[in-house]
Amino acid sequence: MTAQATMTAENGARATRSDLLTMFRKTASEVVEKDFHHVEESTVISELAIDSLGMLEIIGSLERQLRIQIPDESLTGLTTIRDLLDVVEQRQD
Amino acid sequence: MAHPRFVAPTLVDAVRGLGDDRSRGFVFVRADGSERLVSFHDIAAEAERRAGHLAARGLRKGDRLAMVIPEGEEFVLSFLGALFAGVVPVPIFPQLSFKNVEGYHDTVAHIVRASGATMLLTSASTRPYVEPVLRREDTLRALATVDELSGASRPADVRVTPDDLAFLQFTSGSTSRPKGVVVSHRNLAANAEAFMIHGLDRDPAVDKGVSWLPLFHDMGLIGFVVGPLFTNVPCVFLPTASFVRAPRLWLDKIHEHRGTITYAPNFAYALVAKRLKDRDVEGLDLSCLRVAGCGAEPIQARALRDFAERLAPARFDARAFLPSYGMAEATLAITFVPLRDGLKTDVNEAGSELVDCGRPFPEHELAIIDEAGHRLGERQVGQIVARGPSVTAGYFQEPELTAQTYRRLGGQTDGDPWLHTGDLGYLAGGRLFVCGRVKDIVIVRGRNYYPSDIEWAVSELPGVRRGNVVAFGVPVEGEEQLVVCCEGTSADATAIREATAACVASRFGLSVHEVAVVGLASLPRTSSGKPQRRKTRELYLARALSRVRDGDAKKAGDIEGGAPTEGPAA
Repeated sequence: MTAQATMTAENGARATRSDLLTMFRKTASEVVEKDFHHVEESTVISELAIDSLGMLEIIGSLERQLRIQIPDESLTGLTTIRDLLDVVEQRQD
Repeated sequence: MAHPRFVAPTLVDAVRGLGDDRSRGFVFVRADGSERLVSFHDIAAEAERRAGHLAARGLRKGDRLAMVIPEGEEFVLSFLGALFAGVVPVPIFPQLSFKNVEGYHDTVAHIVRASGATMLLTSASTRPYVEPVLRREDTLRALATVDELSGASRPADVRVTPDDLAFLQFTSGSTSRPKGVVVSHRNLAANAEAFMIHGLDRDPAVDKGVSWLPLFHDMGLIGFVVGPLFTNVPCVFLPTASFVRAPRLWLDKIHEHRGTITYAPNFAYALVAKRLKDRDVEGLDLSCLRVAGCGAEPIQARALRDFAERLAPARFDARAFLPSYGMAEATLAITFVPLRDGLKTDVNEAGSELVDCGRPFPEHELAIIDEAGHRLGERQVGQIVARGPSVTAGYFQEPELTAQTYRRLGGQTDGDPWLHTGDLGYLAGGRLFVCGRVKDIVIVRGRNYYPSDIEWAVSELPGVRRGNVVAFGVPVEGEEQLVVCCEGTSADATAIREATAACVASRFGLSVHEVAVVGLASLPRTSSGKPQRRKTRELYLARALSRVRDGDAKKAGDIEGGAPTEGPAA
């Protein structure tokens, strides 16, 4: 994550789409202890070999960083990282 | 059969008996953090009301009601409503995020079919995810949401007795399709008395349970809804997903509500130890917690020690640890360690540290048997079998499976059958130590090896991470041979293979048929993140396990695509 993205999140301001992707890569890499810096918006979540508990942990961390809450219902049926970032972006609004 | 002495004969009687208490009850924490107290009075009244609605919709005593309700409060009240109407609830887990929808529909359809459920009760938020099942199963006549059960209703007027089937607990077997355990009110009363009174010596004036466990599994449902209702103990429930997202929430709620009893599987203690930072522990006071139970999956001493160390500044008392053993077929719990014993361990002959899971409850028996069904002695490893009033009568409409699992011992001609748990263990000084699953045992030239022993030993090697190793047996030219799969990077692959083979040879006197080094996070895992031994074995045998490329290309050629041929050994 860039220093700027960190500051954006910590100031509570709206993170840009590319900040969010960067944030996902960094958070996933920390939580699962595996390198996820290659992840793109088109990446299919189920192909990341992250189990559902791991994904929830990542989402929990994103929620804390961005000071948002993502309801469980909106997590069902997500396929790609793009879908996930769409949900995150909506919650920032 | 023994009757419970200290609790009501049915859960319905127990809940009605709490009906005057308007100040204590269950607190439900919602995903947004808000809390709502539902008093015991309101629980009883609401159960009565929902029972009336279910009866009005044509459900009769003994009918099965499938339930997919992720919201804790709605789940508990609907579950009890069904019991009050004599209707048999069949709890089904809600759709997990990110999992494929078709697989979920298959599972729900299977459970609906196997239980013969005629109605599926769900919540408005979940309805879209279960609706497709209605079209697939003919026996399922209706789908309803909990908010359709609102308003006044006429009492159901059903008499519920101890021998009535209370609910079906579908077990998520890792290898076979889910099967429904028949749990009677007598089983519920017996187990509630066993763990809440004999095990925990609960004090209604002092105790308070705190749980984030899913309510569609035995540990959450029996442990924190059924047991506490039978024994008048208030509880605080938080959503499972909230705990996983923010593990500290579990401890925050214990602190805020002055919780005295909590329970969790091993992985949750490990997760807390790993995720909490010093600043998360600041300000927490867990001195109120007198019981931190652990069960439902193999207990690793290290996870509990790490947790205790992490939470020591919050005045967590490690004597609160209460390891236990049990399963849905025995309603919930079979053994507990005595209060205040904390974590005690034993080192087996392979050098693995095993956790003392305690002793059986009064009126319950435990034995260790060999393959012929004869009892084994002190410290001899064999299958764990159990019987007593908490042991259920078997699986719903599965007579063959029931007869295989619930049977008499070798030479036993009368008396109750024993539940054959499929777990391996031994007794030492009357205490139970669990070694693994019978089906996972690896037998090489007549000697038994326990995969967990090998996995733990290999986990200690450099380059290998704890919990990322799987060991299993495969047939090679008519003989069973050991295969070890480790997750690792290609840079470490050669070193991992050599070190693993050397370690297994020196610790167990066994040569490894093959050490397969696979990519990080690529072993198949359970929903709680543990590598799945049998699934890994299947992939291995199907030659579908992809190994990492080796730094040394020549050596890699020896094992790539390799299933049972000759492999590198020590």
